[in-house]
Amino acid sequence: MKNTAKQSLSGVALPHTSTAYHEEASAQAVAAPQGYWRAALPRYGVSVLLEKRALVVNIGLSAALLAACVLYLSLGSVTLSPNAVVASLVGRGDSMTTFMVQQLRLPRLIAACFTGAAFALAGVLMQTLARNRLATPGIIGIDNGATAFAVASIVGLGVGIAPPAMALAGATTAAVLTFGLASGSGTQGYRFIVAGIGVGAVFGAVTQLMLARVAIDTANAAYPWTVGSLNARPASAVQLLGIGLALGLVAALALARSLTLLRFKDAIASGLGTAVKVGRLQVLLLSVVLTALAVAVAGPVGLVALIGPEIARSLSSARHVPILAATLAGALVMVLADLAGRTLFAPIEIPVGVVTAVVGGPWLLWILMRPQRSRP
Amino acid sequence: MLLTKAGSSARWRCSSRHWMLILLTALVAVSVVSLLIGAGSVGPRQVLGLISGSDHAEARFIVWELRAPRTLIGIAVGVALGVAGALLQAVSRNPLAEPGLLGVSAGAAFAVSLALVLGASAATLRIPVAQLGALIGCVCVLSVARLRGVGNDPVRLVLAGAAFSGLLGSLSALMLLYDQRAADEIRFWVVGSLAGRRLDDLWAVLPSLLVAGAGVVLIARPLAALALGERAASGLGHRPGLIRWLAVGCVALLVGAATAIAGPIAFVGLVVPFVARAIAGPDIRRTLWFCLPVGPLIVLTADIISRVVVAPSELPLGVLTALCGAPVLIAVVRAKRLPML
Amino acid sequence: MRHTLLQRGLLGMLISGLLVGTAQARTLETAYGDVEVVDHPERVVTLYEGALDAALAAGVTPVGAVTTRGGDNVAEYVTDYLHANELEHPEIVGVVREINIEAVLAQQPDLILAAAQLPEEQYQLLSQIAPTVVPHTQPLAADNWEAEARLFGQALNQEEAIEEAMAAVDLRAAELAAAIAAADVGGTAFLARWMPSGPMVMSTQLIATGLLEKVGLDVQDAGLIKADSAHSDVLSLENLSQVDGDWLFLATLNDDGQAALESAKQSAAFNRLNVVQSERVVPVNGQLWSSANGPLAAQAILDDIENALLP
Repeated sequence: MKNTAKQSLSGVALPHTSTAYHEEASAQAVAAPQGYWRAALPRYGVSVLLEKRALVVNIGLSAALLAACVLYLSLGSVTLSPNAVVASLVGRGDSMTTFMVQQLRLPRLIAACFTGAAFALAGVLMQTLARNRLATPGIIGIDNGATAFAVASIVGLGVGIAPPAMALAGATTAAVLTFGLASGSGTQGYRFIVAGIGVGAVFGAVTQLMLARVAIDTANAAYPWTVGSLNARPASAVQLLGIGLALGLVAALALARSLTLLRFKDAIASGLGTAVKVGRLQVLLLSVVLTALAVAVAGPVGLVALIGPEIARSLSSARHVPILAATLAGALVMVLADLAGRTLFAPIEIPVGVVTAVVGGPWLLWILMRPQRSRP
Repeated sequence: MLLTKAGSSARWRCSSRHWMLILLTALVAVSVVSLLIGAGSVGPRQVLGLISGSDHAEARFIVWELRAPRTLIGIAVGVALGVAGALLQAVSRNPLAEPGLLGVSAGAAFAVSLALVLGASAATLRIPVAQLGALIGCVCVLSVARLRGVGNDPVRLVLAGAAFSGLLGSLSALMLLYDQRAADEIRFWVVGSLAGRRLDDLWAVLPSLLVAGAGVVLIARPLAALALGERAASGLGHRPGLIRWLAVGCVALLVGAATAIAGPIAFVGLVVPFVARAIAGPDIRRTLWFCLPVGPLIVLTADIISRVVVAPSELPLGVLTALCGAPVLIAVVRAKRLPML
Repeated sequence: MRHTLLQRGLLGMLISGLLVGTAQARTLETAYGDVEVVDHPERVVTLYEGALDAALAAGVTPVGAVTTRGGDNVAEYVTDYLHANELEHPEIVGVVREINIEAVLAQQPDLILAAAQLPEEQYQLLSQIAPTVVPHTQPLAADNWEAEARLFGQALNQEEAIEEAMAAVDLRAAELAAAIAAADVGGTAFLARWMPSGPMVMSTQLIATGLLEKVGLDVQDAGLIKADSAHSDVLSLENLSQVDGDWLFLATLNDDGQAALESAKQSAAFNRLNVVQSERVVPVNGQLWSSANGPLAAQAILDDIENALLP
């Protein structure tokens, strides 16, 4: 049982050096289990089991993401050919297209990729943790906390701290509150989520209160923070998110094993050798940090945390948690959604949060209506 | 906590009666306070002066034309939301089921917003539209939980509701973007309040409240039987499926009506049955009875607070109930174990 | 050899370009520091109602503009003005809260006029497209629009046209004041925005309330407005008598003032007011009265005042 668990690590590759497999790995003739490829480096005594389906899915999603990125850089108020995009990326286009691609579309594309990936990664972690496909960091109040703080900063209660920093603080505050209020019941099960919903409701009410009591212009300035937008986002927050996302992805892949086990009942997971409590806490912390960083860039685009993992799960096998696939799918969804928001009703831009809601909404309803699969 | 019925039914009935008396007295007191206090300069002294025959036109107007309708509407909304919450909790066998949390209020508010954007403005149209929206919201969310067998996973329903409300909120945001002209009215619809409502609004929803009330009386007994389990209820000659649908219909009527007058008011449907159950014990019939005074008591208290804290303006009632209700929600889940319904 | 020639030629062009540039550029003081603008801007994009208004008043038709708050196009009075003068309608480049920077770029502007509230991130991008003029008129004041119009006039190199337009507003206001005094219809006035749960009292520091003052009305805010806020919180219906003056100008955020009046008249508390019973409630277009800014808007507001007070 332990070995099967080890094999079903998600993602593309994980160095596999456990003693149980060490000798086998050095033996040439060992066949990979069904559905897996084995990539062995006998000289170093390392072998890697690659799940075929995961590999195909991840490569496919990467290709789709790349195509979406090219499309994103090409389309807009002025349509550029892919050649022109490449030319201006390397700085050989005319000054207008270069400015458009390098200064306007590229930073926004990067922000879209990063936020989408971070939201989806946080989502898949949270869903695994809660054993529920509908659990997202947004639902447990983190989005609302971030929005409330960002709006507070805009309406002038923020002691001069910029909205992204305040959003980060708000997300952390909401998470800490939820932790604190659910303490005693641990991070386990529904109490945690319901406490989060309560915290989210309070922050939501506070946001509405602030918006109702400020001048309409200030409310307009706060608008992107209430729906989620990628228009002219501060570069520093994007950089911070980039670093956080890279570290978070590595950490999530490292946690993959305990994640896979967290989907079972606690007793089983413990029996399989996972320190359930510690594992939970790590996963939760990761999810919260990723969401906080992403919200600080784009505002609450919480539905991506639902759509990304859902796409990844429908493509991947149910054997393990599709961490990388969810991350890629999240980035893809975000890029396409923002592309649609920028171009469909041009010159009026639809904020990306509204696009994801409108596209994700019917999808969400469909998920809700469909009989549920046994595991998230 | 769970006293066996046979052993202590007499004691229960006695203390129930006491409790009911206390609650009714409190309700009367709060209603009077609701007439005495407001955001304006007309305070208790001027209002009491009216009784002793003073001829203060301003005070007379404010009490009879503003505060009295508001108090009556608050009572109606409190009853409707409290009973709807208790019904929803009984049907889903989930102590966290609440019209606001499950997205039923959001469904009603969204339907009204949509109607406003599509050009409807007649006040009479709002009520059926809101009720239809509430019904759709109810069915959507409850079908997720598939009504049966959610007893062991209360959170799934709540999650579905939260996701559903979030979705509707985003769609409303889109409508705000699409139609700026309706923006003011929609913004008003997404935060519940009792300010500025007229008695006409109350008369307009009264029929549906009465229909729902009759429905509740009809299904109270079968619901109690249902609490014993599906088989027991069938054995007693009830039809569980039909009872559930009737209950859902009543919830939709009640929540739709309340939302049509006051907008979405969060957490009342959670807090009221919570308090009522604490007094009445697990029997759904007794809980429903206690919801009648407790609902208005809570709504009116919240409304009075909302009038005075930021005078000369007012706080939206929906914001205040969310601020006060969320801690109750957390208290419910922090309790050692959820009461099984 | 050819190489150096080419280089010399390029250098010469660069220097002459710089010389021409310095000869033609003018420097303006803006909220984001000194900005150099070209001498005769031809492709102007306005990202603010007041800038669009000032540009039109200065005789420059912008190639791009944002929609007005609460509408999906530029304000009605601007459309009327464009139509009456057979001017081309500017391209819409977004809404005030979501400026489409690519659409701005697509217009290839040589001057961008923006609102004082333009966020820094957007300024950084816009200023790379064209010189971006942001007025620093942050604390709310009734004569902000004059300072803004002057700055925009300077940016457009049309100071005289703007001064003329503002002098015309002053003259018109003075004439109206005399006529109102003669007809003895002055007195206290409130500007309010009707919300479904009650009215918001608008600040006395707006262009509309400033003009009401100029024509001799005593505009009040009942002491309800916090410093630097454009309007009060929604007033409780119980306190409606606080906005009971000789005149009440009633608007909504959108352009339908009549609808605001209808919805207000549903309320018994509103119908009780003296100002309502003496029929001195004036429904006004909220786009013009609470969002618009500039000399043309001032004329349009004065039109409304004249029609209401001196029928």
